[in-house]
Amino acid sequence: MKIDFSQPQRQSLVGVVVMFTDTLQGTVRSLWPILLVWVFRIDEVNKLYLGLGTAGVILLLGVIAYLKYYNFTFFLDEENEEFVIRKGILNKSRIAIPLDKIQQVNINQSVIQKLIGVHALEVDTAGSSKKEVTIKAITHDLATALKERLLESGKNTETNSFNEEGTTTKKEYPFIQISLLSLLKTGITSNYARSFALLFAFVITVYQNIEDYIDATGYESDPLQEYINPTVLLQFVGFIILAIIVLTLLVNLLRTILKYFNYRITQQQNSLLLSYGLLTTRNTIIRPERVQMVTVGRNYFQKKMDIQDIKIRQASNLDTNNKEHRKQAIEIPGCNEKEKDVLIKFLLEKMPERGVMLKPSIRKVIVQVVKFLIVPFVIFFLFASVRFTELYDYAVFLPLYFVFVATMIYFAYRNSRLFVNSEFIIKQSGAWDIDNDFLAPHKIQAVSLKQYFWHKKADIGKVTLYTAGGTLTFGLADYTRLKQLVNYWLYQVETTDKNWM
Amino acid sequence: MDTVKDESNNSERNNYINNPIDTLALPQFEEVQLSPLQPAYYKIVLFNIGIVYLLLAIGAGCGIYFISEIQSYWYVPVAFIVFTLCISLFISRISFKNKGFAFRTHDVMYRSGAIAITTIIIPYNRVQHVALHEGFLSRKLGLATIEIFTAGGDSSDVKIPGLEKEHAEKIKKLLVGKVLNQDKETNED
Repeated sequence: MKIDFSQPQRQSLVGVVVMFTDTLQGTVRSLWPILLVWVFRIDEVNKLYLGLGTAGVILLLGVIAYLKYYNFTFFLDEENEEFVIRKGILNKSRIAIPLDKIQQVNINQSVIQKLIGVHALEVDTAGSSKKEVTIKAITHDLATALKERLLESGKNTETNSFNEEGTTTKKEYPFIQISLLSLLKTGITSNYARSFALLFAFVITVYQNIEDYIDATGYESDPLQEYINPTVLLQFVGFIILAIIVLTLLVNLLRTILKYFNYRITQQQNSLLLSYGLLTTRNTIIRPERVQMVTVGRNYFQKKMDIQDIKIRQASNLDTNNKEHRKQAIEIPGCNEKEKDVLIKFLLEKMPERGVMLKPSIRKVIVQVVKFLIVPFVIFFLFASVRFTELYDYAVFLPLYFVFVATMIYFAYRNSRLFVNSEFIIKQSGAWDIDNDFLAPHKIQAVSLKQYFWHKKADIGKVTLYTAGGTLTFGLADYTRLKQLVNYWLYQVETTDKNWM
Repeated sequence: MDTVKDESNNSERNNYINNPIDTLALPQFEEVQLSPLQPAYYKIVLFNIGIVYLLLAIGAGCGIYFISEIQSYWYVPVAFIVFTLCISLFISRISFKNKGFAFRTHDVMYRSGAIAITTIIIPYNRVQHVALHEGFLSRKLGLATIEIFTAGGDSSDVKIPGLEKEHAEKIKKLLVGKVLNQDKETNED
């Protein structure tokens, strides 16, 4: 099933449709103010001109789309080991990507692409992200074949033994599939904090708007005020809380299912192939050697249901001059214990064990209390007493806030741990969602230690480990121990023969 | 590269002895004597602070001169500027004194900070590239800045200012040499 890619070829002809919708989208997006004016004045405009004009524009866009399709070619330059793309109608450009610079090849599908049965192929390069290349319409067979070739050739330069191995294990077999049930479980148990905050803000604004509205309608006395007695208030608050909980669950559920529907993980040669999504299908490749940090997270409910989220951070930003922020971590939701073990083993090469435990100093609690309790309270009462006396009306919420934050701080402190052994650094953290970050010492790029002068006497401080996929910070903890650990990690990094990618 | 690595690991595994490492016997970074920055660098710091406060003072002066309402309160902005200037000078002095660097056999250390002291350590085998900067003023004073980049993102990059030009050049050569050596070694593997 070798397909020849050495000759320049065009995309699938139906791809013109994709080009067309893309161009249409672009035009509408850039001209929407003018279009809006026309829509509002539609009665005044001559219907004939309008029809002719629309037809003309659509024809023009069609021609542009066809020219875009016609001028877009791609091929593999075997000699120079480059993947070459030519495009442009008036401004022609030729983009050549050296194969060994290709980091990832993703095959995605948007709604339109799904309708006409084509896929988009995205080539992700190391370094400058500005020249990421997308082939917008390509058949599935061609896409997978091209993807295989692109990644294979990239590896060829590194090793030859892969091919022999590769042909024997070329068969794709889905080895983990996240069921809808797991997604349902994940949906109703995750991201409480974020959705809660969003909905809370939403409800508060609605409530205020209602009050404003009542003010504006000019009742003598505020009817809300009149009816508000303790029971009604309690019922109201209860209702709002219930509504928030139900909405949070629903929103999360929908989001999770839309994003992660039909999550399949396939092992392909020496990498993992992920594909997921309901409306837009995403395909991503994970290579263990590029993985910098793995995070396994779950909360109390998820523990009871035996599901957990795995977040994988890959080396993304090779060109350090590039100020663009890192790509987000790849998430695998709703894995059970067994699946998690298989994945972790594959990504980290062995099961990480928890080594020597390091607890944070009790001063960490003090810092948190100052930051999240004392400072907000002082600000609140300062404002309330000096100027805005109406703030006292909200003082009812203060005990609630206090209890909530205090429990959060307590659990965050209790869960904050660092485990170190010779092969892995494991950081456990979080109050409700408890995360475990797994990091292999040879992935460390730099280490930093930080100590405020008022922490000097207590001999406590913070350590930060930098990797190409993000940072890991632990503190405040025993500074002497941290220094020992830093010495040990430096020793490991400086003597290892493993590459960080 | 990875399978090549695996093979070498395999051969190593055959005569693999796993002795316990005495972590206390490892070289300790905290005992390294750090070299301070060139005293002339403090002049640059002062110059920069001077420019900022000169601009502030001009702004305040214009405000007081042109807006008659605040003329009687002229001492407020003046006091504010003088106060912050004193604090800036104080902090800049402390932070200058805290700054120090060291190049060990296998890594580079840089310490900085005034309120919090941060020590950042980059092993040479994780250095991506090195840059040497010279500002207008620092060129006049014969100083240069070395910037060391890793793949760990912006916050893990180290910038050592206030080095003598020659010294900086030497350091750059040393680092580039180390980086190249690393590359060669991995290629030969």
